Amino acid sequence: MKEYAVLAQDHVKVDALEKVMGTAKYAADYQMPNMLYGGVFRSIVPHAYIKKLDLEKARALPGVACVLDHTAIPGKNRFGIIFKDEPCLVDDKVRRYGDAIAVVAAETQELVQEALDLIEVEYEELEAVSTFERAMEEDSPKVHGDTNVNVTKHLEYGNVDEAWETCDVIVENTYSTHILSHMFIEPDAGLAYLDEQGIMNVIASTQNPHYDRNEVAALLGVPQNRVRVKQATTGGGFGGKLDISVQLHCALLALYTKRPVKMVRSRTESTMVSSKRHPMTMKCKTGATKDGKLVAVDCYMTCDAGAYSSYAPAVIGRAPVHIVGPYDCPNVRCHAVFAYTNNPMCGAFRGFGVPQAAVCHEGQMNALAKALHMDPLEIRMINAHHVGSVIPTGQELTESVGFMDTLKQARDKAAEVMPEALERLKPE
Amino acid sequence: MKRRGTGVGCMFYGVGNTGLPNPAAAFVQVLGDTSVHVTVGAADIGQGSSTMAASVAAETLGLNYEDIHVVWADTMYAPEGGATSASRQTFITGNAVKNACTQALGELKRTASEELNVPEEDLIFRDREIYSGKDDSIRMTYPALMAAMGKKGRLAVGAGYYNPKTTYLDPKDMSGVPYELYSYATCILEVEVDTDTGEVTLLKAVSAHDVGTPIGIKMVEGQIEGGTAMGTGFVISEKIDIDPKTLAIKNPTLSKYIIETSMDVPVVYPIVVSSEGEAGPFGAKGVGEPALIPSIPATVAAINDALGTDFTSTPIFPADIVKAWKEREAAAK
Repeated sequence: MKEYAVLAQDHVKVDALEKVMGTAKYAADYQMPNMLYGGVFRSIVPHAYIKKLDLEKARALPGVACVLDHTAIPGKNRFGIIFKDEPCLVDDKVRRYGDAIAVVAAETQELVQEALDLIEVEYEELEAVSTFERAMEEDSPKVHGDTNVNVTKHLEYGNVDEAWETCDVIVENTYSTHILSHMFIEPDAGLAYLDEQGIMNVIASTQNPHYDRNEVAALLGVPQNRVRVKQATTGGGFGGKLDISVQLHCALLALYTKRPVKMVRSRTESTMVSSKRHPMTMKCKTGATKDGKLVAVDCYMTCDAGAYSSYAPAVIGRAPVHIVGPYDCPNVRCHAVFAYTNNPMCGAFRGFGVPQAAVCHEGQMNALAKALHMDPLEIRMINAHHVGSVIPTGQELTESVGFMDTLKQARDKAAEVMPEALERLKPE
Repeated sequence: MKRRGTGVGCMFYGVGNTGLPNPAAAFVQVLGDTSVHVTVGAADIGQGSSTMAASVAAETLGLNYEDIHVVWADTMYAPEGGATSASRQTFITGNAVKNACTQALGELKRTASEELNVPEEDLIFRDREIYSGKDDSIRMTYPALMAAMGKKGRLAVGAGYYNPKTTYLDPKDMSGVPYELYSYATCILEVEVDTDTGEVTLLKAVSAHDVGTPIGIKMVEGQIEGGTAMGTGFVISEKIDIDPKTLAIKNPTLSKYIIETSMDVPVVYPIVVSSEGEAGPFGAKGVGEPALIPSIPATVAAINDALGTDFTSTPIFPADIVKAWKEREAAAK
């Protein structure tokens, strides 16, 4: 490595002092004169038409500034990072537990809760789709449009079908990973207000301020330069703050009340409605020669992506590209199908499908090592990416491929700090 | 009975969005007293993208880290940053900062060249000084350069952006260039499993990560340690439960959704591996997500090694372990 004047050494992080001193301002810490508090009335059923929504009692409560449903939205009511399929406020049907139906702004947080309790709704419930398998059946209710297929991808490289003949060993396994929550330390929060120039300002806990700005502008039907989104100090995200959280609801309430509106989600509300990790099932067949060289991988990948797309199209694009792991393999197929259900929405979560793919490809490498009586580190070194490797999309790697060094340096460190553990890896 | 096991987990990770454009931009101005404003769109959520931006700016301009002030993630002032996701900000916003600083360096180099009588291409900007690479006795301080800039009515400003060199993937077979560069990692992890209670104790984890060039060593090590905690918790403690009727999340609180505490995490030995490349700023790559990934399969493998089982599903909770161990013992008889 080159000698740098500044890099590759340690500096005090630019935001360290205010965090250590407790003066950093998170979204919930913002206060403004004349500020209102906001809250969301949410569905308690997973799939239903709304037959009747009565907001009048909530509106009549003294101290309530405003109660709005989807009819109040001046611009668009479909949002999402890739597919615009999630409403700010439900206008056709409820697609999951926790869908936002109405929003309230009131003088105190207690009054917000009282007003939410006064909102009355009648549902016409529909069968809820709760599994990938049910989603794929012809007679299943459709969560969006006329199919529950959210996205499919197909990766094809080399000739998988002919390759099996040249394999000395083939391992087949089905892997599944579960649904997880980010549990970022700071629940979602934000504040919106119209400034003296009539620009909608939104201060929020977010990973995605420019995207937020564009979505708020679309909701309000104003140019993007009439909206300002400022990221407040943010307490983690792990992908869970890439989707819109309180930004739209705060902005809509601020537009109608002409007053600042703050929303702070409880831990429960935050976890209930923010995105989750995609649970995946991967049925995988992997073949190798007797000296451990990978010959072919064939994987069928399915996923229940939940009620809205969020980052599913990104996850389904990334997982197949990574399905072999950091190894050379001349024949690869991966077919992936993600489905809509009425389950919690899955989205971006640290790794975008690669953690799931890694459970599969590393499980297969270990299965091969076992079948061939090889050290799991050795079989990885035999197949490791290097400069000149070609990945299953046909891309040649031309620089910065340090995989072998990670294998060697991890092995050497393990020999120093956990020699018995390293010894255990050797085949019996 | 307590049994120990070892697992290996590896991964590679394409940095940035898959087969899609995903640019980010930066603005920079070196002020008259050599302090600097850098403005980036990138949201810093604690991972350190703003610290990264300050470091890259200081390295590029030849100033000190402390000279740089970063404004970030305010759409009124900051240009497009794209999402803080896909481990992309060090690579993409880092390159944007470098490009913006390179533009600002244009006038700085022209002026220094005139003042020192040294061709622009021979000038070196480093540690708040400017000198000739051919004869380092020919030199001037940065404040002297800024004073000369002021006299000539020149400003050191720059705007830059970067979009990774990728292609759209063919919808038929996904062929193409999905990412410009890839990070790599290997984790070796040891567990102890109590076959009576099913409890897994995480003992030690070595996790080696190829980050190209580390921007800050402690920041990379922090990512690896945090990622290992999250990755091991992925396998043995975290799970969302969904009510089968309402499809609501049954455990949305920290008391019922169990993330690891400092009492649970293994001893982590982070290893920062470097590799040579031109794509990232000074060769840097992302580590935010790679930090998490290898400890997940390594934990699964370590439990399987300890018990002689073949778990292929996550999570692996104590009840699963006790059941699998009993089945294994019954089969052995």
